Amino acid sequence: MSLIDLMSMAKPNLKSREKFLARLGGTELVNCFQCMKCTSGCTSLKLLELKPHEITKLVRLGFVDELASSDIIWACATCLKCVQRCPQKASPYHVIMALRNLAVEREANVPEAYLKAVSQILETGVTAPVQKVTTKKMEVFDRESLKLPKINAPKESFQSTFLKALEEKQ
Amino acid sequence: MAKVGVYVCHCGLNIAGVVDVEKVVEHAESLPDVAIAKHYAYMCSETGQSMIQEDIKKHNLDRIVVAACSPRMHEETFRKTVAEARLNPYLLEVVNLREQCSWPHSDEPENATEKARELVTMGVARVKFLEPLEKRRISVEKNVLVVGGGIAGIQASLDLADAGFKVCLVEKAPSIGGRMAQLDKTFPTLDCSACILTPKMVDVAKHPNIELLTNTEVTCVSGFVGNYEVTAVKKSRYVDEDRCIGCELCTQVCPVKVPDKINEGLSETRAISIYSPHAVPKVAIINPTYCLRLKYNACGKCVDVCEAKAINFEQQPKTIQFKVGGIILAVGSEVFDASKMPEFGYGRFKNVISNIEFERISDASGPTGGKIICPQNGEPPKSVVFIQCVGSRDKRFHEYCCRVGCMVSLKQAILAREKLGRNADVYICFNDLRAFGKGYEEFYERARGLDINFIAGLPSDIRSAADGSLYSDVYDRGINKLLEIHADLVVLANGLVPNSDFDKISELFRVSRSADGFLLEAHPKLRPLESPTAGIFLAGTCQGPKDIPDTVAQASGAASKAIDLLSSGEIELEPLRAVVNKDSCSGCRICESVCPYNAVEMKTEEINGVENLRAEVVEAMCQGCGLCASACPAGAIEMQHYTDEQVLAQVYAASLKTEARGGSPI
Repeated sequence: MSLIDLMSMAKPNLKSREKFLARLGGTELVNCFQCMKCTSGCTSLKLLELKPHEITKLVRLGFVDELASSDIIWACATCLKCVQRCPQKASPYHVIMALRNLAVEREANVPEAYLKAVSQILETGVTAPVQKVTTKKMEVFDRESLKLPKINAPKESFQSTFLKALEEKQ
Repeated sequence: MAKVGVYVCHCGLNIAGVVDVEKVVEHAESLPDVAIAKHYAYMCSETGQSMIQEDIKKHNLDRIVVAACSPRMHEETFRKTVAEARLNPYLLEVVNLREQCSWPHSDEPENATEKARELVTMGVARVKFLEPLEKRRISVEKNVLVVGGGIAGIQASLDLADAGFKVCLVEKAPSIGGRMAQLDKTFPTLDCSACILTPKMVDVAKHPNIELLTNTEVTCVSGFVGNYEVTAVKKSRYVDEDRCIGCELCTQVCPVKVPDKINEGLSETRAISIYSPHAVPKVAIINPTYCLRLKYNACGKCVDVCEAKAINFEQQPKTIQFKVGGIILAVGSEVFDASKMPEFGYGRFKNVISNIEFERISDASGPTGGKIICPQNGEPPKSVVFIQCVGSRDKRFHEYCCRVGCMVSLKQAILAREKLGRNADVYICFNDLRAFGKGYEEFYERARGLDINFIAGLPSDIRSAADGSLYSDVYDRGINKLLEIHADLVVLANGLVPNSDFDKISELFRVSRSADGFLLEAHPKLRPLESPTAGIFLAGTCQGPKDIPDTVAQASGAASKAIDLLSSGEIELEPLRAVVNKDSCSGCRICESVCPYNAVEMKTEEINGVENLRAEVVEAMCQGCGLCASACPAGAIEMQHYTDEQVLAQVYAASLKTEARGGSPI
C-alpha cells in the first residue's frame, strides 16, 4: 500500500494483511463505513480507550502487525454490542479475537493475566481459582464451611486434550 | 442458400477488452453461408450502422447477425438499420456478447473468446431459419388508470387530463393527498406542503377529464397494452358522497374516540370523521371497526344531526369495471417502523419519535397546532437530537440509502430552531450527510448558520436516566471524543421502505420488484418511467425512495410516456405471436387455460361430417409469451420468430461443439 503513518513512520504490511483477511474469511467482517456506532457504545472505551472503528480501519489499511503487538486489543470486554448493532454487519469483536490469536501465535505482548488463566485451567480445570468469600457482616466462607464438595484437580487426560486443542487452534 | 453477414461489436472495451474479437470474426468467416464478417468499435454508431447497410446492398446479404450487447438494449436499433436497407427487420439475430459473455467472464478472456465463438455459431445457425414478419397494428383505448392519489398520482393525472386524456384516479384512502398531505414544510425552500398540494388536490376533483375514485381498490386487471380491463371495488363509506357537505356536525356528536390516522395516532378523532383538514373529497367516512351502530346496532347520533341525510348504514361496496389503454402505478411507499430497532427505544420511550410524527407535531393543522412539544409531558423540548440512517444503509433492514432522511432532518432541525428559539440545543447525529439536489447544499449551509450542531457519528443506543430523561453517548470522529448528549426529544430519521402490499400489487399488475423490494423499472437508466410490462408506467416512491421534486418529475414523465403510447389511437405490436397448426390440434383446451391474456378461443369445425374442437389464437390479444406453445401436448402451437426449427438449429449448433469435445449433446 502506498501510504505511511507519519505519526509513527509505520508502513502497512500487505502480506500480514492478506494472511489476516484470509483468517477472517474475507473483508466482510471489516466492511466498515465508519459510522461510529460501535465506538459510541463500546463498554471499554471510557476506561481503556478501545475504539473498535479504529481497529477495523487499521486492519483494512494493513497495520495488522502493529495491532497484534499492541495492548489495546486486550481491552475488549466481549460484550458483543458492536456485533449486534453494526449496520454493516461488520464485527469488531471477531476482528479483535482474531488479533488476539495472532498475538498468541507470535508470542507478542500477551498480558500476563491471560497466560495465568491458561495455566490455571491446566492445573485446576476451572477458569477462576476457588476463593474465600467475605459477606457484608464480615463472615468468611469457603467451600468447606459451606459444605460444598472439594474440587479435584483435573485428570491427566483433560490436560492433554486441552493442550492438544490449543495447538490445533493455532 | 442464405447469405449471412456477421458483425462483431467491440462496445469500446466492454467486449473487446475481454473477448478477442478478431478471432471471433475469423471463426465466423469459416462458418457455412457466412458471406462477410467484420468487427468495429461501436456497431450502434452511425458508422457501424451504415457499414451494415452498405454491405447488405453491395453483397446482397439476406440475413444479418450482430454480436454486441443484449438485444434488450439495441435489437430495435439494428432492426431499423436493417429495414432501412430494404431487408425485413426480422431477418436479424442479435447475439449477446456483453451481458452474457464479456461481463460475467471478465477474468477468463480465453474461455470468453471460446464462448463468444460458440454463441456466434448458434446465432448463424438460427438466423438462416428466420422468416420475414410484419408488425401488427391494434387500436387502443385513449384513457389511463392512475393508481394512487399522492403527489405522484395527482401530478400524472393532471398532466394527462390537461392533454385531453380521460383519467381514472383510484385511491384506497378516503382522500387524495398521500404522504405529502402529512408534511409541514418542504425542503429546500421551506414553503408549506399544504399550500402547494391542496390547490392541486382541488384541481383533480374539479377537472372534467378526471374521474376520482377514493376509498377504492383495484382488484383485477386483465388484457394487454392499449386494452386493459380493470375491476375496482369502492368500499363502503356509509356516507353518501353526493349528499355530504362536509359540515362535520356528525364528528362533533359522535361519542367513539378513534386514533387519528393522518396524525400518525398522535391525536384522536371520532368514528365518523373527515380524513384530514384538507381532504378531497371533503366527505365524512365511518370507521366500521369502531362505529357503535355498525357493531352493535346502537347509537346513531350522527343520523340525527345530519341535515343533508347523507348517512347510510346500508351502503354496500360497489364493483366498478372499465377499460383503459395504459396504467400509471403511483402507489407510494411506507415509512420504516423504528420499533424493529430496539437500541433506539422507539415505542419504549414516549419522547423518541419518528420523523413523520415530527412533521405532524410541527404542522399547524396537526395535533399540537404546530407547537413543537415532547409527547410525554407536553413541554417544549430544550434539546432535540436527530439520528440519521434509521433502517436504511443498514444490512439488518434495508441496504439502500433512503435519499430523503438527511434533507428531512435538516429541514426539521431548522423548523425546531425557528420554533424553539435560540435557547434550545439542536443536534444532528449523522454518518454521511447527503445534500445532493438543486439548492440542497445551500440548505445545509443555512442549517449550519442557524447554530445546529452536527455530530459526525451515530449513537449506539438511547438510554433513560434515573429521572426518566433520555441521554445518549456519541463518539464524534471529528474531534475524537465521546460525548454524552441529553435529549428531551429524539427524532429518528426513518427511511422509506417498500409498501407491505407490493406483493399483491406486483401480482395484480404483472410488474416485478427489484432486489430492494421496490417496483422494478424497465431499465435503470434509459427507461426509468416504464415497468417491463408494456403500457404500465411507474411514478413516485413506489419505484424507489424519492423526494418531492423527483417524484413530480417522474410523474410528469410517466404521464408523457402514456400520452406518447396512446395519442395516435393505435399501437404497433411485435409480430411475435402463437400460431396453431389446426391439423395437429386435438382440442384439449390446455392452451386456453394457461393463456394469461385470454387470447385463445375454441372453435368447432366440421371435417368430413365430424365436429371437432380447435384452438384459435386471437391475433390482437396474443402477447407472444409462449406459454401455450410449451404447454401444448400435441406440439400444435408454434411461436413466430421462435419456431421449433429456429430454436433447435441453435441447440444443434451448440451441441455439435460439445460432442466434438467428448461431452454428450444435451
